Amino acid sequence: MTIPFPFPGGRRSGTVASALALLLSAASAPALAQGQQPPAGPPPGASATQAPPAGGADGPPAQGGQLRLPPGASAGPPAGGPPPGPVLTPAQKLVAELPPPGPGVLPPRPPLPADAAMPASDPRDFQGTWFNNQPLQFRSQKDIYGAPAPYTMEGAKVLARRVKSLAAGTPFINASAICRPPGPQWQRDLNFPFLITQTRDYVEFVFEEYHGRWYISLDPQRAPLPAAKQYMGRSVGHWDGNTLVVESSDFRQSIWLDVDGTPLSAKGKLIQRIRKVDDGGHVPFLEIATTIVDPTYYTAPWTIVRSYGWIPHQAVFAEYNCEEQVGDPSVSPDAGLIPEPQE
Amino acid sequence: MAIETTRARPALRALLAAVLLGGAAQAAAQPATPAIEGVWKIATPTTTLKPVAGAVPFTAEGRKAYEANRKLRAQNKIDDYDITLSRCSNPGVPRLALSPMRFKIWYRQGVVTFDYEWNRALRQINVGVPPQPDLLGQGLVPTATGKSKGHWEGDTLVSVMEGASDRTLIDDLVPHGYDLKVTERYRLLDADTLEDRITIEDPAYFTHPWEAVVTYKRQPDAIFPEDVCLDRITAHKPAFPG
Repeated sequence: MTIPFPFPGGRRSGTVASALALLLSAASAPALAQGQQPPAGPPPGASATQAPPAGGADGPPAQGGQLRLPPGASAGPPAGGPPPGPVLTPAQKLVAELPPPGPGVLPPRPPLPADAAMPASDPRDFQGTWFNNQPLQFRSQKDIYGAPAPYTMEGAKVLARRVKSLAAGTPFINASAICRPPGPQWQRDLNFPFLITQTRDYVEFVFEEYHGRWYISLDPQRAPLPAAKQYMGRSVGHWDGNTLVVESSDFRQSIWLDVDGTPLSAKGKLIQRIRKVDDGGHVPFLEIATTIVDPTYYTAPWTIVRSYGWIPHQAVFAEYNCEEQVGDPSVSPDAGLIPEPQE
Repeated sequence: MAIETTRARPALRALLAAVLLGGAAQAAAQPATPAIEGVWKIATPTTTLKPVAGAVPFTAEGRKAYEANRKLRAQNKIDDYDITLSRCSNPGVPRLALSPMRFKIWYRQGVVTFDYEWNRALRQINVGVPPQPDLLGQGLVPTATGKSKGHWEGDTLVSVMEGASDRTLIDDLVPHGYDLKVTERYRLLDADTLEDRITIEDPAYFTHPWEAVVTYKRQPDAIFPEDVCLDRITAHKPAFPG
């Protein structure tokens, strides 16, 4: 049995497809349809030039004190009256006026068994099974400080085009919809498990979804990366203390950073800082902070962060076989999506 | 390729120790580093899974389906019988054993993962993960690779696969039904040679179980290039590179 995937977030077979479709299709729901999450746009009563409050999905809770925050970030509840919002650039205003992203939800998963194996004690050993344990971010609009992403006008237009096409019910074809590797950020963001394996010379992420593989060479001499450009890019890592710093570039084509279509050009790069966090008494988690560097679509680097929970009891993956559906002659090869106009 | 598999949370250590002393802990138990881990490639590439002895013991129904597949192939109606060749759909078990490209075997957290270079295909054998509530209904739908339950008999990994979709083939032509059961025994013949002894059962299609053997040679560890079968199909090239 196969179930066509109605959303450009990809397709998969079986009942998992239904769950994922339900999860992702919430992106096209009207604003606040589920009444759980405020829109990411300006708060009620604020002017159009005000940014959303800090502490949003991409950023940490706002904090007071004497923190020195970057332009555009807010720092906690003001002493008297609403904080002065940042002055949005025309590109940021364009994005702020878009329909807000759908509220992400987490697929249900059984709890970690009490006798589950734990991750290795070596902080540089990330091996095992993890998954994004926070609600899916349909659109990464804010950086880690809660400031709006520094879109160039070109970047804002690309995102606006994609969001509007989705809202109009005519979403664009993207890599996932045609069963191609959707890029490292998209892969990591999905709330489905992935296995990390490590050797001395490389790290490999094996994702449940999209036949995803993300290879990181720790020594390109000993573990050479393919000469041809890859959908997942070319990733080289080095250790900065116990943080693995991975630079991914040389993408075969431009990619969508999330299911709403936050863009990264083929010339852009992602700098991922990966560390295992152990607070000494609980189950460690994995943290990946991703810096997006892409002068085509962003005026400056900006950073988002995700956390990944430990789920060894989910180490047996569901099968992902999108080709069975993509190639079905009885259905549209592109799931009914339309080609995205190119600049 | 070793991994530390157990490091109990302090609060649970006493409980876990008690369970271990009771001899009941199975979840994390696994050989330290099974020698079958590594990178492998089929020793003698073939598209046909040949029985060790005699011919494939088709039932009348199995013979009929097999002849139908032969006819469709002659008519070049590939998608009507082989959606791996036509669409790059997962070849399933046991056909993945004939994959012409390299594959890695990882043994982590009680799961043996076959990490194929071809189309980044994936197949797993559950050796030690306790059953979990099926909250997403993942077990309700037959899949190309079915469900593989494994155990170790000495250094031999024994896997039994059931629950496969009937959309896959045994090899490039031999059909099967939903009742397919594939038992595999993986063992090293020497440090660089891996044997997969495969027993095929499906009472609807075969009069009795039949056996085939595939061997693999160890390959240097490497980062695999990103293989995308659908890009070959789009370029009007065969699903399996020559």
